[in-house]
Amino acid sequence: MPTIDELVSLPDADVVRLAQEGRELAFRELVRRYERPVFSLVYRMVRDRETAEDLAQDAFIKVLNHIDRYSPEFKFSSWVFKIANNVAIDHLRRRRLDTVSMDGSPHASNAAEVEASAFDVSSDQESALDEMEARELGDAIEGAIGQLRPEYRACIMLRHVEGRSYEEIASMLDLPLGTVKTYIHRARHELRLALEGINE
Amino acid sequence: MEAFLLDRHLRPDEIDLLLDTEVGFGVQPLRAHVRECARCEAQLDQAREILCVLEDLPHFTPSVDFANRVMSQVQVFEPWHVAARNSVLRFMPSTRPARIVAGLATAASAGVMVAGGVWAVNRADMGLLLANVGLDEARIAANAALSDLILAAVGQTGLEVWAAGSPIVALSAGAGFIVAAGAVVVGLRALTAPRRRQSS
Repeated sequence: MPTIDELVSLPDADVVRLAQEGRELAFRELVRRYERPVFSLVYRMVRDRETAEDLAQDAFIKVLNHIDRYSPEFKFSSWVFKIANNVAIDHLRRRRLDTVSMDGSPHASNAAEVEASAFDVSSDQESALDEMEARELGDAIEGAIGQLRPEYRACIMLRHVEGRSYEEIASMLDLPLGTVKTYIHRARHELRLALEGINE
Repeated sequence: MEAFLLDRHLRPDEIDLLLDTEVGFGVQPLRAHVRECARCEAQLDQAREILCVLEDLPHFTPSVDFANRVMSQVQVFEPWHVAARNSVLRFMPSTRPARIVAGLATAASAGVMVAGGVWAVNRADMGLLLANVGLDEARIAANAALSDLILAAVGQTGLEVWAAGSPIVALSAGAGFIVAAGAVVVGLRALTAPRRRQSS
């Protein structure tokens, strides 16, 4: 039976196989490897630490209690992120915390609703620009990410924080490749708009 | 194409193409334009800077007991085939020579058992004869014990009736004995009851 030190050096596929054989140390090793990336993804999605912990915990429990259903033809990390993202999106839908795109709500059915729901960067009340100027660029980006639609947020983080390819993201989120590219393009565009004031 | 691009600035989707370091027929004119246009070059630099910051965003760390909380709700299950394999491995000697000896001993035992089984099947008639002899001996011993019991209970006459009679006669005699014994007990109780009432 491999020790914890030996497990650390094994690739994901081998650790998952040991977990499927009922080795508790392998389960713990999988949690150790992915707790930070998964928690970060969920935290940036829901913007609340306590909720993010609960949701990340739910995601891991789902993954580990169904480890026997994992198919090794896919990357384990993709499977984990897929479940974590689904848990976060489900939570946002349940709680109706869907933040609004700068281009207007995706649920808007006409031009008036789009305008009413649009994120106004020049607004006095929600002067995102002023607020961002006071922060470092990293903090400002965190804030700007929080203003993105959850779908954009998931895509941009998987692409640029987790370094996943477009194809992997499409597979993880069950979206067509073209949709993923569009989401990432729009997310980058919105981030650029939101951060213009910081860079100038 | 290049001349056309010089007449306008790059669109966001074209900046995205350059950000993804796409290679292809359409990208060369965009690069050429960026070399010529200070504004588009600045926009591309800004976009690259945002992506660099995004890629450097740190992972957040969940609370210290996160893994324990996850593991407390995970059912670590050892499949039956793994449990069986582990049981076998537990009895497996650790050194190679010992393993060879154990293998030979197991093979010899299995061979003896198989040979014994084959012999027993081929000699089934002898087995049946031995079984009949054994059953007869057991029946004789049981009869002798029963006879002793009847002799002690009802005497020689009862025993003779038992030995000579059919099973129906024997059963009738037994039932008669039980009824008579019961009548004696009831009669004795009836006789002693008035005396007990008087004394109380």
